[in-house]
Amino acid sequence: MFRTTRRMALGLVAGLGIGLGAGAAQAEIRLGALYPFSGELAVLGDESWRGLELAVEERNAAGGIRGEKITLVRGDAVDNNQAVAEARRLISVAQVKAIFGTYSSARSQVASQVAELARIPYFELGAVSDSITERKFRYLFRTNPTARDMAARSIEMVVKSVAPAFSVEPKDLRVAIIHEDSLYGTTVGRYQAGFAKEQGLNIVETLPYPANIVDMSALILRLQAAKADVVLQTSYQNDTVLFFRQAREANFRPRAIIGGGGGYSLRETMQAVGQEVMDGVLNVDFTQYAINPKAAPGIEEFVAAYRAKYSMEPRSGHSLGNYVGAKVFLDAIAAAKSLAADDIRAAVVAVDVPDGTTPEGWGVKFGPDGQNERAKMMGLQWQDGRLVTVYPPEAAVSELRLRR
Amino acid sequence: METFVQLVINGLMLGGLFAIISVGLTLIFGIIRLVNFAHGELLMVGMYLTWLGTVKLGLHPYVLAPPLVLVLFVIGVLIQRFILQPLLDARDAHVQIFATVGLSTALINLALLVFGADLYATPASGVRESITLGPFRILIGQLVMFVCGIVVVAALHLFMERTYLGRAIRATAQHRAAAQLMGVDVKRIYIVTFGIGAACVGLAAALVAPIYPASPTVGTYFVLTAFVVVVLGGMGSLHGAFIGALLIGLVDSLSAFYIAPDLKEVVIFALFILILLFRPTGLFGLGRGSE
Repeated sequence: MFRTTRRMALGLVAGLGIGLGAGAAQAEIRLGALYPFSGELAVLGDESWRGLELAVEERNAAGGIRGEKITLVRGDAVDNNQAVAEARRLISVAQVKAIFGTYSSARSQVASQVAELARIPYFELGAVSDSITERKFRYLFRTNPTARDMAARSIEMVVKSVAPAFSVEPKDLRVAIIHEDSLYGTTVGRYQAGFAKEQGLNIVETLPYPANIVDMSALILRLQAAKADVVLQTSYQNDTVLFFRQAREANFRPRAIIGGGGGYSLRETMQAVGQEVMDGVLNVDFTQYAINPKAAPGIEEFVAAYRAKYSMEPRSGHSLGNYVGAKVFLDAIAAAKSLAADDIRAAVVAVDVPDGTTPEGWGVKFGPDGQNERAKMMGLQWQDGRLVTVYPPEAAVSELRLRR
Repeated sequence: METFVQLVINGLMLGGLFAIISVGLTLIFGIIRLVNFAHGELLMVGMYLTWLGTVKLGLHPYVLAPPLVLVLFVIGVLIQRFILQPLLDARDAHVQIFATVGLSTALINLALLVFGADLYATPASGVRESITLGPFRILIGQLVMFVCGIVVVAALHLFMERTYLGRAIRATAQHRAAAQLMGVDVKRIYIVTFGIGAACVGLAAALVAPIYPASPTVGTYFVLTAFVVVVLGGMGSLHGAFIGALLIGLVDSLSAFYIAPDLKEVVIFALFILILLFRPTGLFGLGRGSE
């Protein structure tokens, strides 16, 4: 019994030795790519991965990092447990120098913990939960905007865009905040209430509701009773569709509706609700493709590269966001003194990309918590069945259209 | 006052929706004594079929109701015959329940595979318009559901009371072994009952689809409330389920307005617990004496 175990152990050690030897001989830099590649989040997980893949291929075509080719090792974060297991595998078996990911906030939260303990830099390119960077990890950085940025942009649009369009003072608008009551909606809703108070807005209702709600007629009656002019909704897809259908059925027509990401950006939502109902609805989300290329230099080249590689149009803005973030981090790794975690960290901390110079529109400068302080969400509007950028003015491709 | 009346109307209409979904569940619950966790997924399957029929064949969703009732009846028969019946004599009766949980997961993932996670919206086909009665509004589709709910409950009631098969079904529900001794083919009764329960879902799917878009998890939205409705009404009681559904609909609507939308489930479940404390067999339960 003892002998067999020892022989197996010896075999295992020998096998590992061969594996490591082969890795070293190729002179490559291994980086981990941790996304949900299967399961219910797979579509946008894969879309996010494509951005990273394009950034790495671009870098390799330009000579890689110090003449060494970058190899991406994929990890499938199909759920939270799997995210942890795959992060461990990437670090200890594949021996990656850094991990990129993750699209899902919950999975980023747990996987980054593994990386932090192992002192491996973790680069978040798409998860929106603020709590990820609020932990102030040493080796965790995030390029993309967060739920807080979403709330900030929506309130900014009420003050600087919606109110002037109706020629009223912002404080004269009756604003209602509704949101689904999981962590996502609650976080955005709370920030919205905070920013609205700072701006002196008149919040007439704040109504959380469960995301699996099947009837919103009572909620809509409350909005009607409160005479809400502007409705801010943070939601998933089903509740977005339900809200618009039931608002129409109850003949509730606020002057402006501003949504937050998710459900509001999807074409299927617009189709399920109806183009004529969705027309004019505002939305705050990651940078989309209908944006002024002057404010987002390089976006056309990105779309061309995407089309060439995948023979289709980008399915969402996630690939673009991951591409821009990944490029920033790859540049930093190339500028680092060595591939040691602390050298990479020093190079990332020194990153200073001005606003308006990336295909996302925003620049990059990391705060002490590792969050990109220049990341911003864009203000969008559904116009004639298309989601176009209308705010800020320099990024807009179309004028804001509001019902008089 | 106007708002209150509108809330009551909305509540009753919502109750009609819960009723039409719960009827099949209470039948299966009451007769086969089986908690069918795949009930919501049968609804989901029916909603996708409605979408296919409306979009690909250009039919009105209501026209699809009769064929859907038939299709779901067959699906129900197959499930009972080939999945649940082999487990009927398992040592632990809960094995059947686990089988329905497995079936539910399998169906959700099958839908994810075939249709993806996107929403499939059945065309409104005119049923998402409102009728106005003075200051009040009623959605046509919801009114139809409400009326259909009453008709289905009445029809099933007559079927159970007046027909030989209905009596055999009731006998089986009262005492499986005794019914068997009296010459009732219990296995066949179970197959037919599950079939009828699933057929009710077929009707519900055709009525619900134009109002709610289909997605793989749409069944889970309704099924928890349907369970509450069934237990509240008294397991197996058809008119109990109907009254229970209306009650839940009313409480849902009123508490969402007067308390808060995110607290309405608290109110519903608090009421649910209270009713069970005082009437453990539900509002119209058979009481002690049934199996």
